[in-house]
This record gives sequence, C-alpha cells and structure tokens, in this order.
Amino acid sequence: MPLDTSAYSLALLRVDGRRWNELRRIHAQIRTQAAADGSSYLEMGHTKVMCVVNGPSEPGPRRGATSGGGGGGGQSKNAEVAVNIVIAGFSSVDRKRRGRGDKHILELQSTISQALAASLHTHLFPHSTINISLHVLSQDGSLLAALINAATLACVDAGIPMTDYVAACTAGSTSTYAANDEGADPLLDMNHQEEQELPGLTVATLGDSDRVAVLVCESRVQVSRLEGMLAVGVDGCKQVREILDRVVREKGIKMIQEGTVERGVGLNDMELD
Amino acid sequence: MPITILPPKAFRDQPPSRSLNHDSDDVMSDATSDSEEDSDTQPGGVSLDGGATIHPRKRRSAAAASSTFTKRPKTNVTSSSVPRSAIVTPGERITTDPQWMRGHGTYLSSASLGEQAITSSLAGIVTRTNKLLSVRPLRARYTPEVGDLVVGRIVEVQAKRWRVDVGSTQLAALPLSAINLPGGILRKRTETDELQIRTFFAEGDLVVAEVQQLFQDGGAVLHTRSLKYGKLRNGVFMAVSGTGGGGGVVRSRRQVWTLESANNGGPIDIILGVNGYVWISKHVEPVVPEEAKGQTGITNIEEVVSATMYSSQNDRIEPETMREIARIRGVVTALVENGLRVDEDMVTKGYNEAVELALVSAEGPEDVYLGGERGEQLAAALTAV
Repeated sequence: MPLDTSAYSLALLRVDGRRWNELRRIHAQIRTQAAADGSSYLEMGHTKVMCVVNGPSEPGPRRGATSGGGGGGGQSKNAEVAVNIVIAGFSSVDRKRRGRGDKHILELQSTISQALAASLHTHLFPHSTINISLHVLSQDGSLLAALINAATLACVDAGIPMTDYVAACTAGSTSTYAANDEGADPLLDMNHQEEQELPGLTVATLGDSDRVAVLVCESRVQVSRLEGMLAVGVDGCKQVREILDRVVREKGIKMIQEGTVERGVGLNDMELD
Repeated sequence: MPITILPPKAFRDQPPSRSLNHDSDDVMSDATSDSEEDSDTQPGGVSLDGGATIHPRKRRSAAAASSTFTKRPKTNVTSSSVPRSAIVTPGERITTDPQWMRGHGTYLSSASLGEQAITSSLAGIVTRTNKLLSVRPLRARYTPEVGDLVVGRIVEVQAKRWRVDVGSTQLAALPLSAINLPGGILRKRTETDELQIRTFFAEGDLVVAEVQQLFQDGGAVLHTRSLKYGKLRNGVFMAVSGTGGGGGVVRSRRQVWTLESANNGGPIDIILGVNGYVWISKHVEPVVPEEAKGQTGITNIEEVVSATMYSSQNDRIEPETMREIARIRGVVTALVENGLRVDEDMVTKGYNEAVELALVSAEGPEDVYLGGERGEQLAAALTAV
C-alpha cells in the first residue's frame, strides 16, 4: 500500500490527518501495578506498551557464582539496569514469532538500558539491579520511543533518583530516500505506515535541555535532511516531556489530596526566609 | 504562547478525546493553581525558538482526557486545593540560592553563569531541615535506619553471617555474633556454631530483627539479641509498602503488640516491620519447663526460653485463630489498598470494625472477606472517625 504523498503536497495533511508537526495522542498512567516498585502504561497513538520496574534490589545468590568473585554485574559500584522486552504476538498486524535471542529486541533492550543508566543515579545503589520489564501490547510505529517513555515513567514511579526525564519521539521526512527531494518537510511522530515508507529516526533527550540521549536512525536518508529531522524530533521530545511530567504531577497531587503523602514545603514558602 | 484558562469540571463527563495531536500548554495546571504560585521555577511550555518551529494549537481535551481516565471517581476534593508547586519532579530546579545545602533526592546541576542549582532527582515533596533541602519521594523502597524493627527473610547462608531480604535496595547482613545462641546470653560462640549455622536460620526462614548499624553505601546490619526478636513461626507473612513514602507501615511508638481477637480466636501477635513486611501469628506464651520453674529468675529466663527459639515447627493453631489471623490480614490489605497508614491504632480499630462488618454480613461472623467494596466500606468507617 503506497503512501499517498501527493495528498500530503496538496492539503499538507498526513495519512492519519495530522500536520507535519503534530504528535499523536499520548495517554499515560503510572502506578498501574500495585505489586511492583514502579509501573506505567503508555499509549502513543495506537502503540501501547506497559512497563514494570522492580528494584533497585540485590539479586540473591546466583547459581554457579563464586562468592566474592569480582567483576560480576551485581558486585559493581553502580546499579545495573536490566531491560527485558516482550513483544506480544498479537501486537502487530502479522503475527510474528519472536524468539528470546531476537536481534531486533536485543538492540532495543541495550539502547534503553544505556539511555536510562545514563540518567538514573545508579551510583547510589551499589551491588544492586534495576529490573525493567516492558511489554508491547500494540504496535503502530515509534516503538522505541514509546518504550523509552514508558520506562522513564515507571522509574519515576519507582522513586529511583534520576537526572531528568528521558523523553523520546520519532521524526521522519516527507519523501523517500530515492526521491532525493531536497525540499522535503520533516515529520514528527511517525506511525507504522510512515515508518515503512519514509526515512525516519528516533531521538530521546534529557529533560527540556537539548542534550540528546538516544539517536537511532535505521533508514537511508540524505545528510542534508538530517538536521531538520533532528530539530523537529528534539522539539517533539520537549512536548513529550511536558506530557509525561503532567502525568506524574497529577498522580502526586492526587496522592496529597487523598492524604497518602503529607504536604511538603512549597517552593515559594521557601523563598520567603 | 497564549493560554486558555478552563475550569476542569466542564470536561469531566466527556469521553476521552481521540484527537490525534497534542501540545504542551498546561491547561490543567493553570486551572488548578489558584494563585500566582507557579513561578519561574517551572517553564510552562516548550521553547519555540528552535530551528524548526512547531506551532502548538489549543487542545482543550488533552488535559481533560487524562483526568477522565483516573480509576477512582473524583470526590469532594477540588483540584484547586493543592497547587501544582506542591510536587517537584525529576529535573526541576528547586533553588539557585547558595545558602541551601542539598539533601537526599537532589543533585547539583550547573545553571547559567556557572551558578549551581539544587535540582530534584525524584518526584516528591520538598522538605527542609534547617538549611538542608531534600525531596521525599512519593514512593520508594525502604531505606534502613538504625533502630528500625524489621521483618526479613533469609535468602543466603554464608560462613559467619546470613543475608536477609528486608525489602531494601540491598540485602541486609545478620552476623552470627549478633544472635542469641541457645544456652544463654553468656555462652561463647564457637566454631561448632559456625558449622551448624543452618540450624539457627536456614534459607527461607523469616526473622524479626533490629537494624544495628548502617554501612556507608546504605547496607544494613541486623541483630536479634533480644527475646523480642528471632525466628518467626505460627503465622502468616505479608508484604506491603513500607516507610519510604506513600501509605503503608509507618514508624510509630509500638510496632509489635498482642491483640485479643474476637470469636474465640485467642490472642494474636502482630509485628509491623518498618520495611513493610508484616507478620501476624498466634500468640504463644514462652514455655517454661516444670523443673526450671522454681529457680527461674529474670537472669536465666533467656536460657530456658532460647531452647525453643530456633524451632521451625509450628504449634497447633485452632481454626478460630486462623480465621482471625486471616481477618487481620484482610484489614491490613484493605488499609494499604485504600492508601491509609498502617499502625497499631489503625489495625486495632480496623479489626474491630471488620468484626462488626462480619456480624451484619450474610455469611455471619465467619466471613473474613475484606476486598473490593467491603475494604472501601472499612476504610470509609475508619476515616470518618
């Protein structure tokens, strides 16, 4: 099914009716699982993921591990961030069986693990492991971005200290690599159909700064178009951060209202003395 | 960026919007904050002067959609009672004033012109102790403090110590030298004891202990050198959220007490570990052998009692006692599920309330179910008092 790019050039609307700079609907919840230390559920359009964080905790005795053996992940001075991704068989249009050693999943796991390890204050938790478990329930593009956002929210919920939110989104370009179109517009937040046809990249930034935490580009694209795509992506990340932040704040304010947490010193009371 | 101020109520009944696009203007936050308290500490939206301009458009349903998704129906509380600034989130700048010292939950980040800003690393509330600023998380794992009463599970047996899971970020250590050995407090620890270490505690055993000492990295050392502490049996274990934030067990005057239960259940011991681990068991009077009765003074009672201290054998527990233990467990679960604190007062009141609830239930006093609506009913009765 070819993407109707001519429609874009006429009305400047994408296949799902968005403009070039619009995100899809992002809906998120935190504290969805009572038993876990932290949990979240996130939808970016029709991409739906949930995340459960356990830890930081020290793993028990491991089989075959010699006691006091150096170099093990659990014995290091920093906490280890272990990410596990499960992509449900029913999540995409074609039911694909993905094994444990799937290269694509392994890459997602290590990308998320490295991105979060850089933001989380892992030095506060020596010898321990932070287990992040991600489940993909539905896929419609921007999978890596959704996974990063869900993992960030779950880590905030788990009360793990971090430098800032790691917020992610995708950016693309309106024409294919082959078209070699210099005047192509950048696109924000690609869905599955766009991802199939057009070049795109995933970018994650740290908080509302311009510091890029993750940049993954798996398609061929002219270097001249990259800058525009990146700029749109980074701006999208800032919007995503605001949305994530609002989710956390609403939950926190609700907890204060319900009396689960007592009120602290307001920032503005502090300035008085 | 223009901001529309909308009353949040107007959208509450609407179904969640399926509109595809979002922007970042804080409709909700501006409706919630009733004063000028949102100051420069919070940038309200995205910066729009990047290379590629993004034109945000008004989206009224965006914020409303997220509030309609909340599980519990919003009750009497209006959102205007808590300003947005009551909460800080990761990466939020707290202050650049150099007079403050940074505590837990914060870090120093470089603000403009080489200034150092104290920045939050957690989602939580700001607390200050004199000049020390810290952020208490909304929820976190238990962090041990010296003197805490904890319930833990042995996960590993090492040469001279046990490793105990206390729900913290690290396993706690229980050295062999920090337990009461059978045969009296004055008995010398020998190599035989080290060889028989599993006869005291083995993997999977539950212990109640006190935090004796903390390591620099946050690890804890426990001790059980008191008759109050030691191996747990005759009861049921449950894990709820502990002292770290957000409901659950709180540090209080008494963490261990005996409750006289209703319906012929007999006395029941309740141990609320500060770490959120709870132990509810049948109360067993320490057995004193006949021949020792005459000379048992305060000095050698420990010798006599400690013989049964490391037994893993449960005593006989009557069905009535089991039922009441289950009821207390239900009370604690209901307290946690409804976000109430768990302490002696609440559990005792909750238990009495639960007994009353069972009397009026269709299944009679044997009904110990306290989930769902029953739990909410129980919580409502407790908060009303």
